[in-house]
Amino acid sequence: MRLRRSVLRLATGAALLALVALFMGCGAFGGDQNTFAPEGDVADEQRDLFVIVTIIATIILIGVIAALVYIMVRYRRRSPDEPPPKQVHGNTRLELAWTIAPALLLLGIAVPTVASIIDLGREAKDDALHVHVVAFRFDWRFQYTDPEFADAGGEPLTAEELHIPVDREIAVELESQDVIHSFWVPKLAGKLDVMPGRHNRMWFNATEPGVYAAQCAEFCGIGHSIMKFTVVAEEPAGFEAWVDEQLSAP
Amino acid sequence: MAGAALDLDRPRPSVAEALRLARQRAASYRGIWSWVLTVDHKRIGLMYAATAFTFFLMGGMEALMLRLQLARPNSGVLDPDQFNRLFTMHGTTMVFLVIMPLSAAFFNLVIPLMIGARDVAFPRLNAFSYWVFLLGGLFMSASFLTGNPAGTIFEGKLGLPDAGWFGYAPLTLPQFSAGHGIDYWAFGLIILGVSSMAGGFNFAVTIINMRAPGMTLFRMPVFVWMTLVTSFLIIFAMPIITVGLFELLFDRLFGANFFNVQAGGTPLLWQHMFWLFGHPEVYILVLPAMGIVSEVLPTFSRKPLFGYPFVVFSGIAIAFMSWGVWAHHMYTTGLGSIANSAFGISTILIAVPTGIKIFNWLGTLYGGSINLKTPLMFAIGFIAMFTIGGLTGVTHSIVPSDYQQQDTYYVVAHFHQVLVGGALFGLFSGIYYWFPKFSGRLLGERLGQLHFWLMFIGFNVTFQPMMVLGLLGMPRRIATYSDGLGWGLWNMVATVGAFMIAASIVVFMVNVIVSMRRKPDAGADPWDARTIEWTIPSPPPAYNFAEVPQVHAVDDFWHRKYVEKESGEVVPAVAGASAIEEAAPGDGHGIHLPSPSYWPIVAAIGLPMIALGFIYDFALVPAGAVITMLGIYAWALEPEAE
Repeated sequence: MRLRRSVLRLATGAALLALVALFMGCGAFGGDQNTFAPEGDVADEQRDLFVIVTIIATIILIGVIAALVYIMVRYRRRSPDEPPPKQVHGNTRLELAWTIAPALLLLGIAVPTVASIIDLGREAKDDALHVHVVAFRFDWRFQYTDPEFADAGGEPLTAEELHIPVDREIAVELESQDVIHSFWVPKLAGKLDVMPGRHNRMWFNATEPGVYAAQCAEFCGIGHSIMKFTVVAEEPAGFEAWVDEQLSAP
Repeated sequence: MAGAALDLDRPRPSVAEALRLARQRAASYRGIWSWVLTVDHKRIGLMYAATAFTFFLMGGMEALMLRLQLARPNSGVLDPDQFNRLFTMHGTTMVFLVIMPLSAAFFNLVIPLMIGARDVAFPRLNAFSYWVFLLGGLFMSASFLTGNPAGTIFEGKLGLPDAGWFGYAPLTLPQFSAGHGIDYWAFGLIILGVSSMAGGFNFAVTIINMRAPGMTLFRMPVFVWMTLVTSFLIIFAMPIITVGLFELLFDRLFGANFFNVQAGGTPLLWQHMFWLFGHPEVYILVLPAMGIVSEVLPTFSRKPLFGYPFVVFSGIAIAFMSWGVWAHHMYTTGLGSIANSAFGISTILIAVPTGIKIFNWLGTLYGGSINLKTPLMFAIGFIAMFTIGGLTGVTHSIVPSDYQQQDTYYVVAHFHQVLVGGALFGLFSGIYYWFPKFSGRLLGERLGQLHFWLMFIGFNVTFQPMMVLGLLGMPRRIATYSDGLGWGLWNMVATVGAFMIAASIVVFMVNVIVSMRRKPDAGADPWDARTIEWTIPSPPPAYNFAEVPQVHAVDDFWHRKYVEKESGEVVPAVAGASAIEEAAPGDGHGIHLPSPSYWPIVAAIGLPMIALGFIYDFALVPAGAVITMLGIYAWALEPEAE
């Protein structure tokens, strides 16, 4: 009996560990837009929240399905002459239990959720690098609006790829020239819609150098599938070199 | 002689008398005319079901084409223009022309029988609802046959709407959507909204006013409760989208600027109005199916529904709370941290009443004598699939995580989980359950099990990979995708699953055809059920109940058949055999039934004419309006036939 109980405990612990490993291991799948392989602080925070909640949800799901299967097997009608079973109408204590327990669990999840909403929704730090993102059907332009990126004529540097330095906060301000688009670099941050008439803002960063695939995530018409862009994160030296190259080009 | 035949001195009948004579004559029609003029809820329910199923096949074929295109990267099965039009029609068709009318079919067929009534409160309005639905669906589908204006990039393309089932502004404005596709979409939805509103009022009044004596609200079957709640949701939600659609049409047709940013309009306003309707709408789509499951589980476990008051109250709670969560469809639009937090919390909490239902359904099955027939298999499938769907909904409510999930295939997986795995499975459960009542024949059990398992497995093969795809970064509504992103395998798997679902529907159709060939010998109560619709013959006579039933408890029929002893043992009641009504002799002469009428269909015809008038030739607008007004006027004046 004691052996069975400790085997059960071991099995449960192993299963939980396997679940965690499964979810964390999803990052090993290839794909440049894999949200499970974050390379920035924002995407990291979002992935962690998702993993915690999904593990809890999976445990609940396994519980419900296991109960369902057990009940169907254990209480299936074995002969057509079986009399009707005891006519149970309910159990108030159970009702209270399975109302209050989920409510508490959910409110518990709400706490880190709200904290994260506030953290991710804050203004960018003072030393952030500002980029004005312009979206139109069906492409993107990136304007570096900080004074240090102005060219000889005082115009902001404008590029078709979003180059950023690693480990520095990027503050994007989004502008649409026509319909609603959505700015989404899955490995670095969740998306933010580009709304005509509004200038939505968010901060994000990249913690690893790399080339990150991105695409428009709000249906915008016939070219929506090809409205892609690239984010190139480099060490500060490499980024400076790129800036100089852009500013000196005719 | 000619003069004698004219007899100009004969007294003329009054308008009212002429209408009465016409109605009396209509009552004698047989064949197709009797269906066109019917106001019988059972016939209207069958027409709803047949029409909705036809649209289901259409929407399903649209889905198969989408899946064929997406099975491989860089595929050329459909070009982006065709893809955009097909996914728009797929979503619009399935939501408005399939799930809602299938639910309406059940309201029509079952509600009057479950409450012991002869018909609904407003039988002609009921017929009107159906004809408006049919005409609205045909109107919207007519856009398949139209084209696009020359000189635009859409020249030569089909004129279907192509801005998604949710039609976000400003994409739907004329400068971005030339042609009439969006007009067909918007007018079509307004027309369908009229049908739903009429039905909402009709069933709310029927349930509140026409229950059999002794059937208090808390002795009603849960399906009746869910219908009542859904009817109120319809009544309050439909006007909101109607206002939004009017504003969109004013922008498109008359140069208004509700959503035109250049002139100070706000595209975000469209989203608020759409989702303030849209979120209650998804509960309109699923609550009736939950009601069906709440009927099937007790019958097939031979136990009462566990926690009846809690199941009812959680349905009511879901309906109330559904008004407070709409902006969870808009987390990424930049509403700000306070709004996102508020809607995050409200969305997290709406999981509580849903969980209560799931646990009570498990409690119903627990300790039962479970009969694993097809209706129950679909109900159990509902429980499993809706649990997954609900839990993925909870992951959506974790707002920062939703910033990654929004607009990806993770969302597509979630809503198909609840709408197909949930609502559609529930509706199929109802079809298998009540088919014998309305046709007199049971649907074949072997084919039914094949249908269920093929559909259940196919459904999971199609939609579980989509959760992975979303997390791997695949956005929604893209016509194609590149190689090398890791999406090809899962997309191919999903396509295979889609064809499995299609095969299961073929099995279902074969089952219906084969079953209808058998003799109608199912009897009044093939399932040993609990509610009073099973006390009358199968199929029911035109008048439903020969005598108005007297109701003494929840599951009144069960209590007439069985008695509970002190020990808890359940034994057949002595007089149980007489609990079933014999078919009354004769054809029900002397029972007062609502008479058929011409005017619901006449009034309905004017509506698509008005819409076509706004799109093509304004002369049709007053013509259609006059026809509808005439139809309503004659309807109001029309007396009883007898």
